[in-house]
Amino acid sequence: MQNAPIHILLADDDEDDRLFFTEAFEEIKIKTIVNTVIDGVELIKYLLLPDVTLPHVLFLDLNMPRKGGLDCLIEIKSDNRFKDIAVAIYSTSASNEDIEETFIKGANVYIKKPSDFNSLKKILSEVITINWQHHTSSLNKDNFLLTL
Amino acid sequence: MEPIKMNLIKIFTSTFLLKGIFAISLFILILISGISYKHTLSLADSTESVVHTYKVNIQLEQLLSFVKDAEIGQRGFIITRDSSFLQPYNAAYVNVLISFAELNKLAANNIQQQNNLESLHQLIDSRFSNLETTFRVSAQIPVDKSLLKASMLNGKIFMDKIRFQVSKMIELDMAYLNERQAKYDHEISFTPLFTLLLMLFALFIFIFSYWEINKDLNILKITNANLLIKTESMSHAEEIGGISSWQWNLESNKLIFSDNQYLLLGCEPQSFEPTIEKFLEFVHPKDKHLVIDGEIQVLENNKYPTSFFRIIRKDGEVRHFKSLSKLITDINDKKTLIGINFDVTEQHKTTLALEERNKELEQSNKELASFNHVASHDLQEPLRIIQIYISRLIEKEDTTMTDKGKEYLDKIKMSVTRMRTLIEDLLLFSRTNKIEKVFEKTNLNLLLENSKLDLAGAIEEKNAVIYSEELPTINVIPFQIQQLFTNIIGNSIKYSKTNIAPCIKISCEKIVAKDQPELKTKSTKKYFKISISDNGLGFEQQYAESIFILFQRLHNDKEYIGTGIGLSICKKIVENHSGFIISQGELNIGATFSVFLPS
Repeated sequence: MQNAPIHILLADDDEDDRLFFTEAFEEIKIKTIVNTVIDGVELIKYLLLPDVTLPHVLFLDLNMPRKGGLDCLIEIKSDNRFKDIAVAIYSTSASNEDIEETFIKGANVYIKKPSDFNSLKKILSEVITINWQHHTSSLNKDNFLLTL
Repeated sequence: MEPIKMNLIKIFTSTFLLKGIFAISLFILILISGISYKHTLSLADSTESVVHTYKVNIQLEQLLSFVKDAEIGQRGFIITRDSSFLQPYNAAYVNVLISFAELNKLAANNIQQQNNLESLHQLIDSRFSNLETTFRVSAQIPVDKSLLKASMLNGKIFMDKIRFQVSKMIELDMAYLNERQAKYDHEISFTPLFTLLLMLFALFIFIFSYWEINKDLNILKITNANLLIKTESMSHAEEIGGISSWQWNLESNKLIFSDNQYLLLGCEPQSFEPTIEKFLEFVHPKDKHLVIDGEIQVLENNKYPTSFFRIIRKDGEVRHFKSLSKLITDINDKKTLIGINFDVTEQHKTTLALEERNKELEQSNKELASFNHVASHDLQEPLRIIQIYISRLIEKEDTTMTDKGKEYLDKIKMSVTRMRTLIEDLLLFSRTNKIEKVFEKTNLNLLLENSKLDLAGAIEEKNAVIYSEELPTINVIPFQIQQLFTNIIGNSIKYSKTNIAPCIKISCEKIVAKDQPELKTKSTKKYFKISISDNGLGFEQQYAESIFILFQRLHNDKEYIGTGIGLSICKKIVENHSGFIISQGELNIGATFSVFLPS
């Protein structure tokens, strides 16, 4: 991650959230390439672009119009081309049902959108510096929800 | 029902008694008849023997007189020489022979008399030959007087012997008669007394039987009267309760309906002859198989399932019936199927209405869930955006903003934070209500440890110390109890005194509900009483109950931030566990919350 930039993709319908997200990465001292899409339909379209570079980490909002985050998660994890993308659920609520369901469907980490910009920067940098191989092999319900 | 049954049992046992009495009476009657018969036979026997003796006497006297006739006739002839005197003499011997024949018959069964008769016969024969000799002597002329005299003397000796023999025979027969008479007297001497005793005994038995039968009749009368009342009250109860009863005699295939059965079918009581076919005519066509299946179950499998079916009343109204039946076997081994039909139409309607209400409730629950979702997402979303913008403002415009501006911004931030906490707590409160209650055997010590982790920040900040006794392992909804600990301990830390580190003590004991006056119950159920006490601000005892009410706060929010929801959640959680929660407070000393969980 020192030289090659990390490819990051965010699917979120909220314009403000997309803005904070990109601004946060601008301020994080890690080389990243951040792309955003406005909903699930756009996300799948993006992933299927002919000359696309697949993201290392996909941040997925759950509550989106047209196609929600859970449907996208199921589609991605059941497609051989995309199933290796690390999926971070990025949602306002952290209800038990949502956490449980996304865990079962194969998401790699769950983060609750913070209400403070500094916290946002902190948690995002933590997510992109996760050693996914190690994290995935020791993943369980208790360490699935990432908290600061 | 009981007294009637008892009476009937009494009558049944008394029937056995009466049968016994009848048998004894019959025996006595036969005995008396037998004795009388034997008696009569003896009497006839005795009379016959008297007649026999009499006949023998007469015949012997007659025999003697025939011999005398011959003697007298001979004498007359010898004296007068008139041949007319010879007439009786000639007839005498024939008559003697006839008499002998008669006597022989009479003495047929008596050897001694037969022998005597033989001797008599010889004596008479000798007498007659003597008479012949006397004739011959008297016929010689001249008459040898001495020879005649000797012959006549000889005749007198024979005559005396004959008389003696006759009287001997008469005496003997008299002796026989006396002997028989004595035997007869002996035989019948006890009979009158015995017969009298038997008669008295029979009389006693008859009186006793009459008394018994009369008693039974009275019981029957009373039982009948009671039965009538019971039947009446039964049919009254049937009418009020919408119940009907029926009996189906399986031997005679006869069916009996109670009056109310007809009424339930919309007919006049006893207005038609009840049959299975007739009843099935009333059953809703789609439910006929249910009724038939039910019968088969009872008759073939000996099972008594409760069946539900519809009937169509005479006026066309559809009613719902519930039917129960039972096979009974009476004392004569006859089988009868008895059953009860309930008109459950009203209950059925209520059930339908309830189902409808349930559906509505489910619908409203769904709406509530979707409201929760909206609240958790859509209401919080803009607040969070505001929070982030505020944090951006504070950071980016730190140098350009006036102090007043910074202060206002701080107040906005606090309000937004409060708003979010409020929404989150409300959500938690509603979830405590609706979430599926899955009880698990859980070690409460672990849940307490989890709560401490939840509160780690606050504990550290205020240097709080928590002492806890060993807690039990019981059946609870784990995350709710953890929430309960978190809320109560969180409160203790939050409402602690400034400059004094919070000290929280958790104790646990097993108690019986009725021993705890504050629970106001007489139940003997056992509970674990978990008490959490602190050294914080406390509260006045008058607020002990109101603090559990939603949105009730004892502190104004400038000093202590709270939503007034935490303790309401605690109360709800405890109620979910069928337990109790009570609080005790003393202002500026501390508060104790006691949670009672069923053990």
